[in-house]
Amino acid sequence: MSATLSDGAIEALNKGNEVTNPVLQLVNIRKIDGGNGTARFRLMMSDGLHTMSSFMLATQLNPMVDSNQLSPNCVCMLKKSVTNVLKDGRRVVVVLDMEVLKTAEEIGGKIGEPTPYVEGDSRLVGLVKWALGPNKEFGKKPLVAPGTPGGSSKIVPIASLNPYQSKWTIRARVTNKSGIRTWSNSRGDGKLFSMEIVDESGEIRVTGFNQEVDKFYSLIEQGKVFYISKGSLKIANKQFSSLKNDYEMTLNGESTIIPCDDCQDVPMLQCDFVPIAELESREKDSILDVIGICKSVEDVTRITTKNSREVSKRNIHLMDSSGKIITVTMWGAEAETFDGAGQPILAIKGARLSDFGGRSLSTLFSIIFSLLLIFSVCVCVCVCVCVCRLFPPFLSGWVLENSRKLSPFDKEGHAMEGQSVTEVRGGGGLGSNSNWKTLADVKNEHLGHGEKADYFSCIATVVYLKKENCLYQACPSKDCNKKVLDQHNGMYRCEKCDKEFPDFKYRLMLSANIADFGDNQWVTCFQDTAESILGQNTAYIGQLKDSVRLSNEAAFDEIFQQANFNTFVFRNRVKLETYNDESRIKVTVMDAKPVDHKEYSKRLIMNIKKIAAH
Amino acid sequence: MAGVFESPKARINASMLTQYVSKPVCLVGRVEKIHPTGNSFTLSDGEGKTASVELNEPLEGELSGIVEVVGMVSNKGTVMASAYNAYRDDKGIPFDLELYNEALKVVHDYPQYYPFQQ
Repeated sequence: MSATLSDGAIEALNKGNEVTNPVLQLVNIRKIDGGNGTARFRLMMSDGLHTMSSFMLATQLNPMVDSNQLSPNCVCMLKKSVTNVLKDGRRVVVVLDMEVLKTAEEIGGKIGEPTPYVEGDSRLVGLVKWALGPNKEFGKKPLVAPGTPGGSSKIVPIASLNPYQSKWTIRARVTNKSGIRTWSNSRGDGKLFSMEIVDESGEIRVTGFNQEVDKFYSLIEQGKVFYISKGSLKIANKQFSSLKNDYEMTLNGESTIIPCDDCQDVPMLQCDFVPIAELESREKDSILDVIGICKSVEDVTRITTKNSREVSKRNIHLMDSSGKIITVTMWGAEAETFDGAGQPILAIKGARLSDFGGRSLSTLFSIIFSLLLIFSVCVCVCVCVCVCRLFPPFLSGWVLENSRKLSPFDKEGHAMEGQSVTEVRGGGGLGSNSNWKTLADVKNEHLGHGEKADYFSCIATVVYLKKENCLYQACPSKDCNKKVLDQHNGMYRCEKCDKEFPDFKYRLMLSANIADFGDNQWVTCFQDTAESILGQNTAYIGQLKDSVRLSNEAAFDEIFQQANFNTFVFRNRVKLETYNDESRIKVTVMDAKPVDHKEYSKRLIMNIKKIAAH
Repeated sequence: MAGVFESPKARINASMLTQYVSKPVCLVGRVEKIHPTGNSFTLSDGEGKTASVELNEPLEGELSGIVEVVGMVSNKGTVMASAYNAYRDDKGIPFDLELYNEALKVVHDYPQYYPFQQ
């Protein structure tokens, strides 16, 4: 029995040309000792015209050899392969997926009279030598780390590392490199950095302290491949690491790190994306990978941590094809520099799941990739091609699958609305996860009657502003806004600071009546929100008020006239408050922003369609 | 029949023109081509479909960007413009023609709630 081979495929592969699913005959198979790690197999394949022995079987296909599926003379189809060019120009074809079309028994012998492939150029001599006597050189040479003492330590996969062996070298790509962190406590002070590295077998976290920071920090570059040998291994502290490895590595005085140029077959990153909808059922504090479109971005805020350190924080809202939205919090420099313009697609590796506000994510040790915004399938295909080169196939596959669903309107024109798995507290506003209510809803649903205050967003128009008592005299010291008592001797007393001051500052406390199509509501606006509604700063309004000039009084009135009938996106806090046995609903404006009409229209259209669908 | 200005004008997009022959309409689109004579121009709507607009008098000055045209639909499916008006960007925010088209479809899908069409 015979089979048709893809003649010319070997030559094409050798020239680096794309060959789709070539059918080749296996001539020979040989096991290569990969040190302590998984065995690797090297194949000699024939296309009927030529043979070539520089095929490497990816380790995940090893079972094909073990089960005797792959034996000399069988005919197979290479469904997926990667061609790597070694430093000296030789090519190695790594077979990632193959299928046996005809078994060795069915074929029974060699097809055709193939000769070892020789490229007809100046490299001929070297190649002939290599082609004829490959067994001696190939397979060993690239697997020995250069420059290691004795040159004899074998390249082993990360997955095989353990605390009981010390003589090894790994070849891995740095996927994440931290900044240098310092510590200072009773036992002294020091510094450290950490990085995450990956090879085809797995990933591991590596930490370097003090001298190792000085020695290696500047050498390590994120995305580059390095030979690393002789680190100490210990059980991983899962609290600080999101990686799928039971061990982590600490660099020591004997460790060496050498850059590696030949790195194409080392994977970029390993991710296991969890759909956002599934996060609700995952355990708190688990570390996971997510991917989604960045629907909206909040502004950076500065917060003070428990140990009184000030850090930057930024929330973004991520939605994936499950239609769910989650709030992701970024910290530090990442929060400051993040640009969410154009709703980029983000892949986040190693985010920590928190139960704050339902479910939310925090990105403390994570890596964030920003992909392009994809509006149409056509553009998407182009992007996919790029993404394929940069990222593992699953990511590009994901992009292809989901880009259309994620674009703001799919072809029917339905805006996609996400449902948040994070409850909203304060801030926010434009995100589609805000708690939108009409003013009638607020009353009908008895918001604020519960134990805790409720928050809601609404679009409403200012219909009345109380000019009287909108300003009060406040303590002039920084961060104290307490009302001062006029001592009528030119001094003003602050009870809170227990001090008297010769002056005060004006602050706004504005009562406003806002209305939408169904109802109206008295609300209170403090300083910032009152300023945004009045469109003027407090100091100026205070000046006008104190002035005895008639023209200034008119200007003061004018500000309130101008502010009437403007429409804003309000974010309000509502709470039932009781004074002297009398309970009334108090609504405080947390934020008043101008209406983003596009966003508003999209939401209205979406709501109409949702109602119509019922 | 009353004039265009006195009667209600249905907001439509290019693909609805055929249903509105001899009726007053309002069409919003992006100016694509202006005929050399200045007597007509084409608009593309939020779906990318084009419509021809004919004028009684040649255009005065330039016309570009998003334009709202009010007029009567002819038998040929062109709009005989009574008036046209170019939209300017609102505080730097460009007019979103696709979004406008979405809103337009809602209005036509639920005439019971938007009874001002005819």
